[in-house]
Amino acid sequence: MSQTPRALVAGMKAELRRLRRSRLLLALVLVQAVTFILLVTLFGLTGAFAPTIVVNNDHGPQAQILINALQNDHHSFSLTFMDNATMAKQLVVKGDYVALIVIPAGFSQGIAAGNTVPVSVFIDNINTDMTSDIERAVPSAILSFGEVNGFGGISTTVAETDLYPHDTSFIDYMVASALVLDTLIIAGTLSALSVAEEFESKTAKMLAVSPVHPLVPLVGRIMATAAVSAGAIAATVFIALFSYGIMPDFPLEMLSILVFCVVIFSCVGAALGAIMKKSLPVAMLVLGIALPLFLFSGSYEPQRFDGNLIWLASHFSPEYYAVGLMEHAVFNLTVTPEPLMILALTLVGFGAGALALARFFSGRGFL
Amino acid sequence: MLEVGADPIQFSDVHCSISGREILKGITLRVMRGEIMGILGRNGAGKTTLLSLISGLRSQGSGTITVLGASLPSHEAEFRRRMGFVLQEDALYQELTVLENLEFSASLYEVQQARERILEVLDVLGLSDRENQVVSTLSGGLKRRTAIARAFLHDPDLFIIDEPTLGVDADARHAVWAYLRLLKSRKKTVVVATNYLDEALALCDRVAVLETGRILAVEEPRELVRRTGSCIDVECDEPTAQKIASGLIEVKQVIRAEVTLSGVSLFLARGARPDEVMGQFSRYGSIEGFRLRAPDLSEVFKSFGQRP
Repeated sequence: MSQTPRALVAGMKAELRRLRRSRLLLALVLVQAVTFILLVTLFGLTGAFAPTIVVNNDHGPQAQILINALQNDHHSFSLTFMDNATMAKQLVVKGDYVALIVIPAGFSQGIAAGNTVPVSVFIDNINTDMTSDIERAVPSAILSFGEVNGFGGISTTVAETDLYPHDTSFIDYMVASALVLDTLIIAGTLSALSVAEEFESKTAKMLAVSPVHPLVPLVGRIMATAAVSAGAIAATVFIALFSYGIMPDFPLEMLSILVFCVVIFSCVGAALGAIMKKSLPVAMLVLGIALPLFLFSGSYEPQRFDGNLIWLASHFSPEYYAVGLMEHAVFNLTVTPEPLMILALTLVGFGAGALALARFFSGRGFL
Repeated sequence: MLEVGADPIQFSDVHCSISGREILKGITLRVMRGEIMGILGRNGAGKTTLLSLISGLRSQGSGTITVLGASLPSHEAEFRRRMGFVLQEDALYQELTVLENLEFSASLYEVQQARERILEVLDVLGLSDRENQVVSTLSGGLKRRTAIARAFLHDPDLFIIDEPTLGVDADARHAVWAYLRLLKSRKKTVVVATNYLDEALALCDRVAVLETGRILAVEEPRELVRRTGSCIDVECDEPTAQKIASGLIEVKQVIRAEVTLSGVSLFLARGARPDEVMGQFSRYGSIEGFRLRAPDLSEVFKSFGQRP
């Protein structure tokens, strides 16, 4: 084996041995990977499926149709059924539930007779966000209820033409892009820490006086952190598949993109580590920039939600390109105007640029 | 390649500035093959910067430096392979074992039959029973020895060591010294930066005295002591120490007397005969013992007309 591959393998071996003795760090990396994917989807999860009590005092066929309409209202209600309205109201007051819907006795009979039957809704309006969700969802359910019953006055027809052959749940959409965020945070932090520690412990100086360029063993170390990062990301993929129930349209493409992202983001982390040269600040930096860049990258939805300025700015973030690739692999969506090949090539450019920066800042002039 | 008979290190009017501050001011120095050259100076004198120039970690502002036949700065791998460097800091991978640190270094320097060579170096430095110990759990002295083992692993021609015994205990200090003498016996060239005169005396063939970026003198350590004078540490009780200090300061051979916790230290003038001074102790009371030693660094600088 010639000198460069030998130094590369030595760096990788040394880093793997170091990580093997840092079990707490490895455990925390895994926890971090999982908590970040939960954190990102928490927004969608808390805004959906408002916990709502239904007290059905009717038990007739029309009441059941209304309940079905409530249950089928997309991402609106998580229904719990109770018999006692007073007790149910106390649970809403206590904060265990957001709303209480009481279907009165004689509801089915009244509807069948063509009468207007009031359905009472009691809402915990502690914040307008949840209140508005309920206020929008109840009429929506009633509309569905009316359509089932064929009420002429409220029947509607929508001439809908879909861009995609399937709908994508908002939470699922976010989980796919959150995998990218997770990859940046895990791979970026681990490689940044690894490189920064070389400078903190002064071992970078020993590398600098050795016959190989310091970047060679550093790349070996980054390869080791990338392997560990890939393991942690595999855990989040497992959660995405089996907890969120996401079935990717192109599974192999998705896995390839994740591995690709681990490599590119490891290079980005290495550059930051070489520039900062301090482990604590660089860890904070990776966390600090990953989230804003993620939000700017259109990760929450394909629309340019804040106008073109932020969308243009997002082009400076590797997450923008990675999210574009990931949404295609998982849901066959096209969320950027740039074609997939351009997205991939731009990410390669980010990786190469990051390595060039790492090489420059780990040179003998920066020790 | 190194020319036969050429000095391994040649500095000619070398200046070096860091952040706009001139650290080395016109250094001219030659280090001969197979000698141990000491760079003696106080903290901030420029010792580490001088070693950084030799190792290629820094570049000079002006002047010429030739090391092992290569004009610096040189980034040739072959040049680096012929040099071993021990930093002031140990610069070891703390989470790796002694053996793993050396294996890593052996890979960078392409050490042939690495395993055998590592075991040999560990044995010479008395680290054989520590090979599987994680570095972070080693004492300061053992870490220092590990750093030296790493630098010598690839059998360099030139060995540079910054503060070899900084922060190590007496046993480790003697082990390091013994190892450096072993290098000399193998005709290796060694440059040692230190601020301990006794270390320079014990190790070096010649010493370059460095003060605020200038070389004040390059001479043999014993000549340095002769120029400076020696020191006698006397062990006695405090009243006797006071009497000796006030009495012998009047004697022309004694230039300074300091009462210490264990007695009194007498600094002798250049050319003074210690036996003549010691013969007078009995006039002031009984003493428990005495030791003749080299003067401290402040006396050396005083002898060059510098501030103590």
